[in-house]
Order: sequence, then C-alpha cells, then structure tokens
Amino acid sequence: MSDETSSNGAEALPVSYRETTKRYAGSDAPAVDSLSLEVEAGEICVLVGPSGCGKTTAMRMVNRMVEITDGDILVGDKSVRDRTPFELRREIGYVIQQIGLFPHRTIGENIGTVPSMLGWDKGRTSERVDELVNLIGLDPELRDRYPAQLSGGQQQRVGVARALAANPGVMLMDEPFGAVDPINRERLQNEFLRLQAEVKKTILFVTHDIDEAIKMGDRIAVLQEGGKLAQYATPAELLMAPANSFVEDFVGADRALKRLALMRVSDVNLWEAPLAYVGQATGEVRAKLEGAEVPHALLVDSDRKPLGWLSEKDLQNDVVPQRPDSSPDPILDSSDIMRDALSDLLQAESHYAPVVDGSGKISGVLSIEIVQEFLNSSDALEDEHSAAERPLAT
Amino acid sequence: MTALSAVVAQIDDSFFTDRSEADCIRDNGAFCFEWVIDNFSDRYIGPTLEHLVLVGVSVALGFLIAFGMALLSHRRRWLIPPFIGATGILYTIPSVAFFFLLLGATGRGKDTAIIALTAYTLQIIYRNINAGLANVPAGSKDAGRGMGMTDRQLLWKVELPLALPEIIAGIRIATVSTVAIATLAVFAGGGGLGSEIISGSNITFKTGIVVAGGLAILMAIIFDIMLLLVQRRLSRWQRADRAERSGGGGSRGEFFRRKPAWTAQ
Repeated sequence: MSDETSSNGAEALPVSYRETTKRYAGSDAPAVDSLSLEVEAGEICVLVGPSGCGKTTAMRMVNRMVEITDGDILVGDKSVRDRTPFELRREIGYVIQQIGLFPHRTIGENIGTVPSMLGWDKGRTSERVDELVNLIGLDPELRDRYPAQLSGGQQQRVGVARALAANPGVMLMDEPFGAVDPINRERLQNEFLRLQAEVKKTILFVTHDIDEAIKMGDRIAVLQEGGKLAQYATPAELLMAPANSFVEDFVGADRALKRLALMRVSDVNLWEAPLAYVGQATGEVRAKLEGAEVPHALLVDSDRKPLGWLSEKDLQNDVVPQRPDSSPDPILDSSDIMRDALSDLLQAESHYAPVVDGSGKISGVLSIEIVQEFLNSSDALEDEHSAAERPLAT
Repeated sequence: MTALSAVVAQIDDSFFTDRSEADCIRDNGAFCFEWVIDNFSDRYIGPTLEHLVLVGVSVALGFLIAFGMALLSHRRRWLIPPFIGATGILYTIPSVAFFFLLLGATGRGKDTAIIALTAYTLQIIYRNINAGLANVPAGSKDAGRGMGMTDRQLLWKVELPLALPEIIAGIRIATVSTVAIATLAVFAGGGGLGSEIISGSNITFKTGIVVAGGLAILMAIIFDIMLLLVQRRLSRWQRADRAERSGGGGSRGEFFRRKPAWTAQ
C-alpha cells in the first residue's frame, strides 16, 4: 500500500486551543469560556457535554464557521485567525449531523466538491473519488446516483468520504452519527474507527452521548454549561477519576462497567492456573496447589485445552481421573471484552474462569478479584488503547 | 340572422375577405370553418407573432428584474417585505387601467404594453425565486460553507440549482398568465392577438373571437409544456428521489409525481 501515504496519509496536524473564548452578541455569558486544549496530531478528541455547553461552538471556531471572540486556535503552528476562512475550510474536513449532501449532485460530484474547488484536474479528482468510494466500502455503481437514492447510512458514509476528499490534516465532525438509528450507528462508529486506523487524521468529534465519547475518543473534553472545560482526559482516566461531581454525574453511575468495555481480557494480568493432566499423580497436583493464586486445579488435555476443575474428591484418588467433577465453563477467550467476561463469570456463579487463546489453549485464569483490582489500580491507565485499537462491541 | 350579417357586412366591409361567401359567415354560428381557412394566414399570423414577442420579451425582462431583486434581497433579508409589497401593488393594478395610465408617459405602442406586462410578472417570479432559495436544505448550505465555498459559489453551485424547479415553476405561471393578459395589450396599441378579438366587427363575429382566443390558449399550453420539459431536464435529481422513495412526502415539485398511487412503498 505504498500509495496509501500519498492519498490518505497527508500529515495530520495538531490543534491547539489557547484560552479561546466565544461571546455571542447580546449575551453576557460566554458560549465558550477561555478554553485551552491540546489535541495531538492523529488523535480523536471528543467534545462532549449537555446541550448548551458550547461544544459545537468550540468545534466550529476551528474552521471559523464561528468567529473567535478572544484567544486563539492553532492548526498546525498557524493561527486560524491569520487565515482566509475559505482557504482554511478547504483544508479542514467537515461532517455534520444533517450530512448536508448536495441533492442535485451525484455521489461522485459530492465527494469531489473540495478537490474541484481546489482546482484539481478532472482525472485526479475522479481517481480520488474512486479511491474514497472504495475506502468507505460503497458499491462503485452508486457513484453516479443522487443522494436521495441512498440509505441514511450510505449517505453518512458519503459525507465522511466527502470530508476526506482533499486530504485534510484535521477533520471536524458534529454529531455525525446522531441522526442514524442505533444499530446503524454502532456499525458506522465501528467502520469509522477502522477507517481512522488507516487514515489517522486529527479529529474533533462533537457528541452529547457519553457512551459514544468513550467509544470514539482517544481523549475526551467534557464541557459544562457556560462553555467551561470540566475535564480533559483519556476515557479510562475520565471513568476512573472524574474531576468533579458534574463529570461524575455525566459519565454515569456505571462508569466501572464502562471502563471494562474499553479493555480485552488479554489486557489484564491473568492468574496462573495449577494445571493437571489425566493420569498424573495427585500428589504432584496437590504440591502445585500449595501457594497457587487459584485454589483449584484445572484439568487440561494433551493440547492444554481445559477439560474441567478438579474437586477435593477428585484428588483423593492416586491419579487424576479422566472425568473431573465440575465443568470448566465459562471458558473465556483472551480477545473477549472485559465487561462481557465479567458478565459471564457472574452469570455462571463462578469465581474463576479459564482463559484460552485463539487456538483454545489455556493461557491463564480470570477471577473476580482481578477485575476488582483492575478497576482500582492506576496501572490500567498506562496501557490504554487508542480508540481505533479498542475492542468494538457489536 | 341573414339581416344581422348584412348589417355587420356594412359596418366593416373589409372584414369579409371570404371569396366563397360561405353560408356560415352570414349565419355567424359558433365556428365558421371555411372562413378560417380563407382568412387564417392574412389575419392571424402577424398578431400571433406579435403576441409571442410581447410575452417572450415581458417574461424575459420580468425574470431578469425579479432575479436581480432576489439576489439583492438574498443576503439583505430586510429587503424582502418591501420588494414583495412593491411587486404586489403592481400586480393588483387592473390591467386595462395600467395600460391607459401608462399611455400618458410612454405613448401608444409595444413598449407601453411590454412595460405593463413585465410589471405583472414580477410578483410571481420574485416570490418563487425567494421560496426556492428559502427551501434549500440548511444542511446543504452549512456543509457548503464548511467546505470552503464562498458566498458566490454557494449561491451558484448549491442554492440556485436547488431552487431551480421552483424558479421555473414561477416562470411557467407568469408566462401562462402573461399570454392571457397580453390579449389586452391592444388597448395600449401593442398589437397581439387581442387586436383580432376586439377589432372592428369581430366583436360580433364569433368565429374570429374563437380563433384568436383559441390561439392564445394554444400558445399558453405550448409554453407551459416547453417550460415543464426544461424544468424536468434541469431537475433530474428530484425525480431520482421520487423513483426511489415512492410515497415519500417531499413537498418539492409534487406536481409531477409520476409514480402511481398504488405502487407499494
């Protein structure tokens, strides 16, 4: 994919808010109040908050759809205030909730809007359109259709493709999936994260939905009424240590579960299971149990696939029996999402669950204690995944 | 009846160019076919062409003026009420009175007729251009601006193309009504088909009125169909919309919904 760099890999630019303030005429209270925020290049920064918190205003000041009253915003190392709005906007992708496709232009013409404004020749624009149609997974035949002939989900994909067309370093997305039904929203979010893993743009993403923020954000800026920044943190930080009661309320009472949704089982340190094989002397097994974290021995076959837990009764014989007393269920996969793993544990009324790797071999044991410890330790913050690498709930 | 025809013939001798002296002329029935065959090319081609010029020039001028007004008021919203008020007042002046009022200033002739007819088209065309621009989806405008379109690009590439169906609908209505009002242009000395309706003894000779009136109706229908075809050609995207979503209640261009009502959604 050598041409990927030339087409989708235009350099992402950092965005930096410098005490940015917006005061609308006729209103004393600022809509955005001295906002300072650093968005690193290639990251998704989600602006989240209740309605009226100024998140959309904050986003729209980046491409000067809203003029800054005080302070500044830098895109790359240039102040947006020094740029001509029209030129600035052509270098910044723009996606809105209403999508705003042009009904009288075909899908291809819609996607080619900014390239043609920038004076690309027809051949280059057309090539780029093909590339993007492909990138968003749209049937190439739809290129010559009109927007009204596409479903809502397809239109939203076209909206994203149109914003990407001229390789912007920064993308602004204002509730892009807000008008889509929940099932399609989930699908579009997942698709978009996969796309972002490929194109790695700097993205400012506005939503009022904390779950979407946690799912989509590398970093989340929580704004509260009056356009004040309440907290700017990674999703895990936000869930673990809300800065104030506003953020705590906003992220919700289930924030522990939300954190678990961000991790896979493979992200935590599992306990080692005392393994036992059929026909092995029970003495050896008992010796292994001494001082082990898991107080039960796990019977595995010759491929190290779990067969079941051995009970005290099983160990009273000389050798390990073929049929253990209790089943190994639930068996978890190391790629399972932690939230789902915990749910399995709770549902099976089990304290421990064997975790297997992709080939079904035992790789450790997950216990309720591990989950509790994970929720209370700050280690988890260090190896937090970027949004595009997180497990995608389906 | 024969006596009446004789009187008519006395009043306007030149009127009967008929060489066959068909009975129907003397009868003065609803329609005298022989007379039409005999008189059509002499009496009607000229006025029809004059009528076409009156309508064509007035609607074209009216469109240019209304379009200019609409562009002016598009970014200066406060101009809309006075513009609607002014064109509305013009629209309410009775047409014959309008022609006579103008006579003092511009004299008898085509110009006078065209000035009055143009004034009548303004209200309809201006209102429709405004409505078309107002109905452009806000999302499309916001997206256009957000992608870096200048006001001018937004206007010519997004707003006007999307308003086009409504603009042409306005021109259609204005054209059809101008064809009708232009039959009165004769009072201003503007010629046109009206001269064949009111001239001389035509007032009492039914066939002459039927032919002139019929030509005006025919002209209106032809204009209407031609403009409809133009409108369709320029708004294919709209029909694509309906073809895909039958029964969807879009308010735009409802006129031409071609999908039969029984088509399943």
